[in-house]
Amino acid sequence: MGSVLLSSDWLIRPRPERRFVLKFSVASASAKPNKSRSLVDVLGLNLPSGNMDDPAKFLLRRLVRRIPAQMLKATLEKWGRLNAEQRESLNFSQSKWALTQELEALCEESRLTVKHIAELEMIYITENPNQMMWHAFQLLDPEDGALAVELMQFKELFKCHLRELVRNVSVKIKKHTDEAVWIRMSWGEGFSRLSHLNATYVVHYLQTPYVFVSGLSPKNKPLLLQVLTLSTKHERIKDANLSGRKLTAIRDLLLRQYEHVFPTKYPSPLTERNQSVSNLHTEKEQAEASAKRHQMAGQAFGNGVLPALQSAVYKLETKFKDPTNQTMTEQDEPFRCVVKFSSTNLLESLRHCASSGIASTPVAPLLSSIPLKGRNYFVITDKSPSANS
Amino acid sequence: MDKSRTSVTSTPISSVSTRRIRRRSFRQSTRSHFGVASRLGLTPGQTTHRFNTSRKAPKPQNITEKVSPEHLALLVKTEWHLCYVTPLYRFRHTQLKSYARQLSAFIAAEKQQGLGVEVGGLQDTFKVSMSVLQGLAETNDDPETVLIQVQSRPAFARQDEPLKTVWSGWLSCINGNPEYLHSLPKDFTCLPLFGSRGLEGLSSLVKSWLRSTFDCFFGPLDINQTTLRWLAALWTNCHMESNIQHLKMQWTLPAAPPLHVAYTVNSGDALALWRSVRKSRGADEEACIEIEEVTSFMEGLTSHFYRHFGVDLSAGDLNQVSTALGSAKVKGRMKISSSRYLISTLSLLTECAFLKIPI
Repeated sequence: MGSVLLSSDWLIRPRPERRFVLKFSVASASAKPNKSRSLVDVLGLNLPSGNMDDPAKFLLRRLVRRIPAQMLKATLEKWGRLNAEQRESLNFSQSKWALTQELEALCEESRLTVKHIAELEMIYITENPNQMMWHAFQLLDPEDGALAVELMQFKELFKCHLRELVRNVSVKIKKHTDEAVWIRMSWGEGFSRLSHLNATYVVHYLQTPYVFVSGLSPKNKPLLLQVLTLSTKHERIKDANLSGRKLTAIRDLLLRQYEHVFPTKYPSPLTERNQSVSNLHTEKEQAEASAKRHQMAGQAFGNGVLPALQSAVYKLETKFKDPTNQTMTEQDEPFRCVVKFSSTNLLESLRHCASSGIASTPVAPLLSSIPLKGRNYFVITDKSPSANS
Repeated sequence: MDKSRTSVTSTPISSVSTRRIRRRSFRQSTRSHFGVASRLGLTPGQTTHRFNTSRKAPKPQNITEKVSPEHLALLVKTEWHLCYVTPLYRFRHTQLKSYARQLSAFIAAEKQQGLGVEVGGLQDTFKVSMSVLQGLAETNDDPETVLIQVQSRPAFARQDEPLKTVWSGWLSCINGNPEYLHSLPKDFTCLPLFGSRGLEGLSSLVKSWLRSTFDCFFGPLDINQTTLRWLAALWTNCHMESNIQHLKMQWTLPAAPPLHVAYTVNSGDALALWRSVRKSRGADEEACIEIEEVTSFMEGLTSHFYRHFGVDLSAGDLNQVSTALGSAKVKGRMKISSSRYLISTLSLLTECAFLKIPI
């Protein structure tokens, strides 16, 4: 049904992008024939055929749908591809599909291609990275000069190594304000045209061994990881077992950019010798225990605002040890289960559990490993009581 | 109601009423049934029933011969919102067609309130069908299950397009408490379990029509913590016959912000733990399951959790239990994924409904 309205260019394509096809079929199913806007209108095929091709149109449409209305104006301004006059002509109070039509017309006027639309997407994602699923990787075994790799060198190395390994890929590297290098990559299959719709985003903080990746298909994963390893002058790269939607949270966790409590020999300030006797009636009984719990919770997780990690997964394969249940304790096989903790701010919840007594203090090493090791996926077996990768 | 109360308190402790059930030739295995009044030592007379402390393990039943496949497909694999209903006054299974007409007129009238001029036949907008869902009733006392479906044409659709079911619900009573059922006056029909799925507005309309027509009362059937634990244990027990794939429990701990824990146990290991708990009681496979076994089972699971994380799950609430056979949420939502355990699960829910009925 949908193929009738596609341009012939896409019909010839042997394997259309799955994501693109799915989106299209959803759009066509929702447009009822009796509605005043016909399906043809929705796809904007009534517009005079400009030089904006279909991938650019689809990317633009998807972007406008995705970017919330209030951010769209600022993002377009930052993009800079439309001049002030064109931007002023846009009416941001109308419905999104009408806005899309206007934008398409403007882009065709300015002869913008899919590469320019990709730029717009990159600007939006860079400003709002907390909407995609990010996975962290850690670079290991730095060679000499790894720490000295700065932006220009990294860019050169990355593009060079990438070109050696992959032929059909488009790369855009940009430095964001806070020392982060953002890379957007569009992959093409074999010799077919590049698909800008499923781009991979990579964020690397120079001089740190961490890389965050989103939207990487398993097929391209070994390639990208190899290129990253080579261009940062390391020898290996491994999965850091840390993933989450909020890039800022997982970045803060790994780079330790949040308040810590340094372990100290004297946990509380030294008491004065001649302490005035406080009113015993007003002192709570649980004060000391509560203070201790708070302190241990703070030591395990940190005392200030914690990065908003959202989930942690533990795959447990340990033996069931219970003195009251001899039958299970005697079994040799491990008791397999998977535990997933989730919350709007996981570390905050865990710290609160520890300080309020729901979790026993000192905090269990499995829980304190999350901030300590900077990971949120663990496989626990009996051989090593701590997490192993 | 006094008659039923005295009958409960006079029943001797040791007897679990085994009732002669009419054996039907196509039934494959022995019926499972749930024992009647339990002994929790609470003062009698506060409510007529108490939650059972012991049950027989539910056996899988092949009910495809009793219930038509279309009806089964309607009930199974959907999540139902459950309520309890007090007995219905002057409800006749024979008058379902006229009830359906009345209900569709009622819905149309309610929808018209406050709206402007409507074009087209109002009666066509919502079409109600009520039918009897044959085959679910287990005993002679159980009234037959009634199925209610509200269909309507989707907006902007053409006239010849088929109607889509926008709301469905059912009233049922499976293995109802016989003393209670016998003690009801003649004109009352007891269908205490009400399940609904679909638009919330239609649910309230259907309920208010039933309320005004049959003088009954609806209330939420919250599946409480005990029932959820029972379901966890019973479903694990079913793993011997049907693969439950996993036992997944979802807890919420009262931290700030609230912490959700999803604890998924491998089905084989859960069964091993369950078996070890039962063995320690000295019970054989066929005997009743006691609540102490359920408690020990849950304690085993939570203590394993505590040993690793130092977090006591009993500080929070168990919100949801799910296996491949179905899922139950504490807010009164239930999904039965396998038709083989449909009857036993509905019996358990009927029992919960009986507990909640205020009279």
